[in-house]
Amino acid sequence: SRQQQEDLLLHSTTLYVGNLSFFTTEEQIHELFTRAGDVKRIIMGLDKFKKTPCGFCFVELRKFPRSVLIASDPSFYNLNSVVRYYTREDAENAMRYANGTRLDDRVVRTDWDVGFKEGRQYGRG
Amino acid sequence: KRRRGSESVDIEDRLESLITRVGEKSTSSLESNLEGLASVLESDLPNYKQKIMRILCECVTTMPEKLTVYTTLVGLLNAKNYNAGGEFVELLVRNLKEVLKTSEFDSALVMVRFLADLINCHVIVAASLIMMFDSFLEVTLEDNIPQVRSDWYVYAVLSSMPWVGKELAEKKDAELEKLLTTIEHYIQKRQKIHVQTLRVWTSDDPHPQEEYLDCLWAQIKNLRANQWEEHQILRPYLAFNVVLCDALQHTLPRIIPPSHHDEATYPLPTVVFRMFDYTDVPEGVGIIPGSQAIERYLLEEHISRIIESYHLERKDCAAYLLSFPLKCKVPLNYMIVEVLFSQLFRLPRPPYIDLFYGSLLVELCKLQPSSMPQVVAQATEMLYDRLDTMNTSCIERFVQWFAYHLSNFQFRWTWDEWSDCTQQDLLGPKAKFVQEVLLKCMRLSYHQRMVEIVPADFKALLPRKPVPSFKYEKEGSGSLPGTIVVHQLMQAIKSKCTPEEAFSIIKDVPNPLKEKEGMDPGYNPLRIEVFVQTLLYIGSKSFSHSFAAISKFNNVLKALAETQDGQICLLKSLYELHKDHQQLIVVLIDKLLKTQIVECSAVANWIFSDEMMQDFTSDEEDYDNVKRIWQRFEVAYKEATDFYVWEIMHSTVKKMNKQVQKLQKEVDEARDRREAAHRRTRDGLDLDDEPEDVPTEEMIERMEDRLEAAQSEQKNLFLIIFQRFIIILTDHLAKCESDDSDYNTHWYKWVIERLQQVFLLHHEQVYRYINTLETLMFTSDIDIHILEVFQQFCALRS
Repeated sequence: SRQQQEDLLLHSTTLYVGNLSFFTTEEQIHELFTRAGDVKRIIMGLDKFKKTPCGFCFVELRKFPRSVLIASDPSFYNLNSVVRYYTREDAENAMRYANGTRLDDRVVRTDWDVGFKEGRQYGRG
Repeated sequence: KRRRGSESVDIEDRLESLITRVGEKSTSSLESNLEGLASVLESDLPNYKQKIMRILCECVTTMPEKLTVYTTLVGLLNAKNYNAGGEFVELLVRNLKEVLKTSEFDSALVMVRFLADLINCHVIVAASLIMMFDSFLEVTLEDNIPQVRSDWYVYAVLSSMPWVGKELAEKKDAELEKLLTTIEHYIQKRQKIHVQTLRVWTSDDPHPQEEYLDCLWAQIKNLRANQWEEHQILRPYLAFNVVLCDALQHTLPRIIPPSHHDEATYPLPTVVFRMFDYTDVPEGVGIIPGSQAIERYLLEEHISRIIESYHLERKDCAAYLLSFPLKCKVPLNYMIVEVLFSQLFRLPRPPYIDLFYGSLLVELCKLQPSSMPQVVAQATEMLYDRLDTMNTSCIERFVQWFAYHLSNFQFRWTWDEWSDCTQQDLLGPKAKFVQEVLLKCMRLSYHQRMVEIVPADFKALLPRKPVPSFKYEKEGSGSLPGTIVVHQLMQAIKSKCTPEEAFSIIKDVPNPLKEKEGMDPGYNPLRIEVFVQTLLYIGSKSFSHSFAAISKFNNVLKALAETQDGQICLLKSLYELHKDHQQLIVVLIDKLLKTQIVECSAVANWIFSDEMMQDFTSDEEDYDNVKRIWQRFEVAYKEATDFYVWEIMHSTVKKMNKQVQKLQKEVDEARDRREAAHRRTRDGLDLDDEPEDVPTEEMIERMEDRLEAAQSEQKNLFLIIFQRFIIILTDHLAKCESDDSDYNTHWYKWVIERLQQVFLLHHEQVYRYINTLETLMFTSDIDIHILEVFQQFCALRS
């Protein structure tokens, strides 16, 4: 129900991270978000528009030099991922201080997430 | 969104909003707003008195930057309704007594200041404030108390003086002089051993780094010399002088400081951080007050209070900082930047996480693009220029912040102006700083980007490409023992073998230690190396791949590294494979600790092993510096000076501390639940449907056993760390003495300040073991340079 959903969000330790560059790696996300607290898990997401499974796509694409892909429309390559913390407090710090700052020249947007479930990496909302 | 409910809730909300927002930017003057609000409150008093009192009292501590606005409001209310004024004072005094009891000294400080300012608004009689101050200063005469206790009470009195000094000098001159004489005597007899350990810079050039109480005392003396005239505090009550003068005043009840007890934690002393003076500021934007001018203190206080009030909302925080009401022309940008860096560099720890400062500075730059970025850049240049005498902990935070800042501004920086670092020894502070910044920047971006952003002559300082170095696939690997097994294992893992199958492949790898010594060493280094390097090499595609590999083969790893030596061997294998990918080493060790494949003490022992720590640089003093920079990869200095090693160390200690905390909490909660159940039984409230979750005595005992075990593990970890520090530093000092060379090398500075960092970063935990440390480790026969670090730490709370 709606109430349950709200409660989940209120206690969630998981953030949805949007507007990442397609080239941004798990390592980079970790480096930024670990500054807010102890990161439990990062789940790399999918291309929002193409809905192709990124797990493969991503790894394959990284074989090309960055410059080649930057030449095409960068907004097309828009990656989203999920960052989960151990504690609510750390997740709140990420919402407060990492949200809206840059990673890989993109302004990162974070939002509360009720928690990752299998299959969720195939697009959101 | 409007709350449902009665009309009174609406009115209460409206009152709260009116009171909390007074003093913000508005179309009408502050005076008319205050006058209007006082009338509203007066008329609502009969029905909402408690609510109004509570909100006003909350404003005292939650919005300390608007102190004089609220004292004026209370003054106006008191003039209209004497009883209301009395009740407010009573409530505030009650709150003050409470926070003094519970050691909430920061809240206590603003309450004291508020009470003091109330004499300016004719709410409190001056004589009773003097009485309160007298009883505060009596603390300085107490025996057997830590200095931090008397320091706080003296500080509370002194820091109220800018608000109230003038009024007291007019009304109670003799008493005020007596107070100040007492303070002067106290200031003169204080010990200041702690200062060395809290300084950001060891040098007083170009700006003296003063002890906080000394500095405030000097500022107050200057204020007194200027007849208590200051030019910073907005005093809205002056406009209401006529009304307020007619008001009746209250007498403060006696406020006696609660006596000292062992659980009381007083604020630690600080050293005042100063990086700018008036010569750093371009003409026309105002003048930075001198370091001993009271205006400097008041500006710093005000900025700090805004940060405190709004630190949860960085955008609001930036906006409030930049719209600060100023009485005279001051280069506010410079002051804000100085205060932000003073907090970021504060020892032992900054008040907030460093990401807060980073994101706030980005916000300030965005909000005021015409001048803020320049001031931040100028500050960065200055910090860089003063790296030679900067404390290692602060250099580390500087690196961390600057990399983040650069990553928010496309890594644009005038690196050319820093080319002096390329002329330095690679371990020199500037060269090291740039190397570490580039490493951190690389973590936020990627290797090629680093190559592109820095000029060619920075090449020697660039990080190596973070790729695994897998010796079993390199040329000549055929002759290595284990290569054949590695290839079998690789095939098996890639075709998704089970952990058991993997284990059977490495089962027969011979143990080189056994062959040599003919006895069982408890671990097989070759088997560990073969398995760990193969597994992690296959998983090296990303963190997730590595984590998946560790979790799938968790049991194999545990079986291979049962003993501590085995665990250290595992860490060495990991390090050898990933030594060019520091971030990966950090997260992998974190994972190994969390999955309990390795113990904290194994990590500590590994960090202090010869491979990581030994100082080879002092043997190489003869090398030509420039030549050495170009020989980056040939120079054999060990990891002790690399920041990521200490990142691992501190995160290991933190993990240990968290575990102890968690177990402690469990025991406390279980005991509470059990006691509550007992109480219910005693009071005859025990019903049949008693909750099931009341822990039994046995369960609590088991929890206590676990806690005790964790605590002894924690103590052991600290003992290992300190013992190893003492050994490597003593070795170095002895070697230098026998060579007749200067002990104070770059290596020495980096390492001894890391020792200091362990004390400071984990001071609450270390402090618990201080007696053991004193009797077992930091005894009088160790070198004075090492002993001093310990003594300075002890002085922090003495």
